This record gives sequence, structure tokens and C-alpha cells, in this order.
Amino acid sequence: MPAPAFPPRFHLLTRLHETHGREGYLSREAVAEIARALQIPLAEAWEAATSYPMFRFEPGPAEALCGGLSCALNGAAPSREPSAGCRFRCFDAPVEGHELPFPEERICLAGPLLAGDITDWKGLVTAQRQGPDAALDLIEEAGLRGRGGAYFPVATKWRGAIAQRRPIALVVNAEEGEPGVFKDRALLQRRPRRFIEGLAIAAAVLRPAVIVVFVNGEAAPMREALTAALRASRSLLPVEPLVVPGGGGYVLGEETTLLNALEGRKPAPRLRPPFPVESGLFGMPTVVNNVETIAQLSVVFRGGADSFRSLGTEEAAGTKLFSVSGRVKQPGLYEMPLGTPLRELVGHAGGAIEGEVFAVLAGGPSGGFLPEAEMDRPLLPGLMHPSGAVAGSGGMVVLDSSSDPRAAVLAMAAFNADESCGKCTPCREGLPRLLSALQGSKLGIGTGDLLDVVGLASLCGLGQMAPGPMRSALHFWPELFR
Amino acid sequence: MTLLVNGTKLAAAGTILDTLLAAGIDLPHLCKDDNLAAIGACRTCLVEADGRIVAACATPAANVKIVETESARARKLRAGVLQLTLAMQTDATPTTSGGPLAGSLAETAARAGVGDTPFEQVSGQAEDASNPFFSFHEAACILCGRCVAACQSLQHISAIGLAGRGSRTVVTPGAGDSFRGSVCTSCGSCVAACPTTALRPKSGGAA
Repeated sequence: MPAPAFPPRFHLLTRLHETHGREGYLSREAVAEIARALQIPLAEAWEAATSYPMFRFEPGPAEALCGGLSCALNGAAPSREPSAGCRFRCFDAPVEGHELPFPEERICLAGPLLAGDITDWKGLVTAQRQGPDAALDLIEEAGLRGRGGAYFPVATKWRGAIAQRRPIALVVNAEEGEPGVFKDRALLQRRPRRFIEGLAIAAAVLRPAVIVVFVNGEAAPMREALTAALRASRSLLPVEPLVVPGGGGYVLGEETTLLNALEGRKPAPRLRPPFPVESGLFGMPTVVNNVETIAQLSVVFRGGADSFRSLGTEEAAGTKLFSVSGRVKQPGLYEMPLGTPLRELVGHAGGAIEGEVFAVLAGGPSGGFLPEAEMDRPLLPGLMHPSGAVAGSGGMVVLDSSSDPRAAVLAMAAFNADESCGKCTPCREGLPRLLSALQGSKLGIGTGDLLDVVGLASLCGLGQMAPGPMRSALHFWPELFR
Repeated sequence: MTLLVNGTKLAAAGTILDTLLAAGIDLPHLCKDDNLAAIGACRTCLVEADGRIVAACATPAANVKIVETESARARKLRAGVLQLTLAMQTDATPTTSGGPLAGSLAETAARAGVGDTPFEQVSGQAEDASNPFFSFHEAACILCGRCVAACQSLQHISAIGLAGRGSRTVVTPGAGDSFRGSVCTSCGSCVAACPTTALRPKSGGAA
């Protein structure tokens, strides 16, 4: 069955990406030519193109230094700016150059999801034999929640789309743009058949009219692995998945922003309602799931609901992939049951490189810092601490005795200010001012008051969570910022 | 269908903002154009709805039961957002030199009891006077997006967009062209929609 024909602007991002890859930058003439070919007004193509941090608009050498926190903690030159982006090899920090394939030896602790790739399609056969209704019930019984960071119940989201009784779009988010997180790269490169089986199960239940996989534009190894896996398993899927490369941007983790990107529009959040399950990609009922969520479907259907629930907690079943980096002896990927205390995870990673573990940044730029004394808190959905720490998408960056916590906080504040999409006033205007305030400038109002404005008044979840690293640092280490 | 607003039952229709405005209740809404879908960018219409902070322009009245527009939290957040908005302007041109809505920000701030902003005022300085009928001044722009919505969604011309991201976002004709070099037809819809003096008629007075 051929995929439905989307409007031409669906191809904007792919065409921009191709041209950027070939020319090394996007000239105004090149964007104008693409806009003309796709019948998109030039100003709309231009506002979309200029919103992706990966794209450059002048010829010249590409920035290849990593500006992530793990690199900063491991001795990267202080001149590196967070805007330099992340190369997502935080386990090898400090790094530079392009992305490299994810090494098998960095899978440090494997559970049901990572224990070797599968060799048959037993999970898919089970789902097909059950039929969509029973399979959906099984997902609900298993208690599977989304692994992208929001932990929304998968069955509830899917039922919301099915209830529309219109053709469904299934969108897989493989953007993975959070510094310190490399789990989806690992899954797609090292366990591609897990992902394919999960995708085929999702397709068997949702019966989507179209499947789109949005993949990070700079993650060439992940994209190649994904393309090869999809090619080898075409017969398992009802429609041929469309693979769309992104142009970077942390805000692409927000699902309505991702949908705007796929529609060739400026990547900024939409208002809700309508929710994507009601009206998403080009108005279709749309399910957006993370790569890890899709792969977990394979575990659910191969082992059954009880087996899946045997790990994790009542409210948060199953295992989660944690990307551990920073100042630990064994950085890498750890699969642990949800509810595992953070201390246990850090212990598995071998503890501090120098002296003691000082703190962990739990949940990256959308999370918060937890000092060592707070590490008995379990890794669960929701706030791990009221000041900001979350399990999130599983990025855990460890600080040890050699680390400068003030520099780490400033790095996160700078990242969030830099990654604001600019659509809403509190996030766009508040975050740069908070960064300046941490650096010693006079703010004009209380820092806590401005953190509240950004956290409560911002349009999307990323703006609302951006205060976390600062709020947690001010909570635990107020003396650092006097 | 009714909505309990500040303790009074109101006939609810459309969004929370629609319901409030129909009942004559004042609430800032800088980026909401009567003729266009909500943008949700300016965040000046925040209210407390069933205990949560939401943008009144983007929340269907049917989705909530109780709205408090004057809770201490809602008032404080709206004031904070307006202060941040005022801090985007370094241009002090009198609003009488702007379009018909050019006084919106100043009036909204005054009604909300927000005088001078406590923040340092910072803005871009881009200027474009290439169009014979109006000019653009970034130093007065608050990035509400109304001009772009008017151009793209009302007039279907799409001469301008919001190029760049974060605090580097700027209203931009074409691919960084001038207004004159773009497909702008000088219809004036952007000037008519602007709640500040960022887009102002060249002759002065109403567009």
C-alpha cells in the first residue's frame, strides 16, 4: 500500500538537509530554489531553515567541537560554548569531530531490552495473532509508558488516536537531541531488530496509513543503521516508513514542534488542544513515540504483561535505558528497572573518577542537580525532587570532587537560553536574563520570581522545565551564586 | 454551558478569552487577533483555570469549570511577562506615530499596573524603511507574531516570517530580503496588526 501523498512542503526539511550536506551551507539562492520547487512561500521556508542550529548560511569550516556538559567536566577547553552542540559520545568525553558508531562495549548493563538482538519475530507473531484490540489491552496491562521523558501511558495515547476513526500517522521520534543521552543511537545501531519488531507491532495495532521516522540530522551512523534495518524488514510493515532527517534543536523533543518540522514549518510548539492524537501531522490523528518506547513493545509482547511488570514499580513498569556520563569510571548505557535508586545506578557505573561523587544532573537541561546525599531517590516518572531533578529520558551526568558545580549550572543555563525556539516571551526573554543573573549581572527582580515566570508562563514543556537546573542549584548550593 | 469566572456564572463559548471578553472582563491579550487563530506566544492572558495556569486564548471554555483571572499567582505571572515584554523595547517613539493598535502594549501594561520594567532593556536594532508606505523597527518589536500571522494566514501573501530562533528571532521579509525586495504588496495588514510601533506608517497617524 503506497503512503498517502503529503503536501510538497513535507519534503522541505529533507531537501534542506540534502543541499546542506552537499554544499556545506545553505545559500539564500538554494533555499529560494527549494521553496519554489515545493511551492512554499520563501519567507516560510526561510523562517523554517534558519530555526535549525545545524544549518549554516555562510560557507566555512563546520564547528566540530562538543559543547556538552560531560565534555566540559572532562577537561574540554573552556572556550567551548554550549552552542557548539553535542556529539553524543559523552562516554568518550572530551570529544570532537563527527558522530561515530555506538560501541557495543559501552552497553554496560543489559536487561530484557538490551540483552542481545533478537533473531526471530515472536513478539510480532503474538501481536498479530491477538489482533489489535487484545494487543492494545496487553500494552495497557503491561503498563508501558513513553520513554522519551514524559512517561505518558502508551495505550491511552494510542486509544486517543484510534478513537478518531480516521487514518492514523505513526511518527517515531529519533531526534535524540539532549546532551548526555545516547540510548536511541545505541538501540538503533546495536539492537535494530528490537526496534523493527516494536515498530511492526505498533503498525499491527494502529494500522497507520503512514509511518514517519524523524532522525537526528547529524547522527549519520544512527540514520544509516535505521535505513538498513528498515530495508531488511520491509515485508513486516504495512507501509514503507518515510525517514526524515532533522536539523538539530533540543525543542524537537516536544512533539508538536516535531510535527511542525515535518510539515516544513518553523519548528516551534503548537497550542494544545488539539492534541496530536486528535489532529497532528497534516491534520491526521497522530501518535508520536520515542525509539525506546517502540523497542520496549518487543519486550512486552515476547514476555507478556506479567513478565514486563515483574521489573519496575506498580506505577512505572519495566526497565529504562540510562545514559550515564560525566565523572564516572565506567560511563555508558545502563538498563535498570524504573524505581531503581539513583545511587545504585551511579554505583554500577563505578563511582567517581576523582575523590567522591559530588552530585548528579538528573534529566539534563530539563532536569535538575541532586547532591550525593539525595541519591537514594528512585528513578521514576515525575519530579525526583521538587527543585527539578527528573528521570526524564535517562540522561545522568555525574559530578565528582574535581568538578566545578557553578560551571556546570552555567553550562545548563546557557544551553537552555541558546535552545529556546523563541516563540513565547517568558522562555525567550527570561532564560538569557537568568543566565546573566547567575553570572553576576543585576536582574531587577528576585531570581526565584523569574524562575517561576519561565516555569509557569512558558508555552511548552521544555520552557516550563528549563528552570530546573538553576532552581535545583540555588536550592542546594545558594552560596555558589552570592 | 457555563463557566464560573471570579465567582460569577457566565455563559461560556469558544475559549476562556472569548468568554471573558464577551462578558466585558478585561484581560491582556497582546498576540490574539480577533480575526485569526490563537498564536499563544505573548503569554499575557494567563489565568488560573481549575487551579492550573493556562493561556486563556488557547484554552476552550468547555475544558474547564472555574476560572480566576485575579488570583495573586495569575496577576503576578502576567505582570512578570509584561515586564519581560517591555524590556524588549529600546525605542521610545510615541505610539501616536504607529498603526491603529500601536498603543496596545503600553495600555495593557498600564491597566495591569505595570509601570517601568525592572529589567535592563535590550533589543535588536534592525531597521527597514525600504517600503514606501511603512517602516519596520526591531527596537520596538515584541515578537508577538501578529504581523506574520496577518501576512501568512489572513492575506496569504507570506512576505514575512520569524527568521532565526531564540532571542535572535527577527521579523524578516523573504530570505533576509528588504520589504521592498520581497513579495510584499504593501497591503498594510502587518501595520494594522502591530501592537507596538515596530511597524509604523510612513505618513504618521493611522494606517
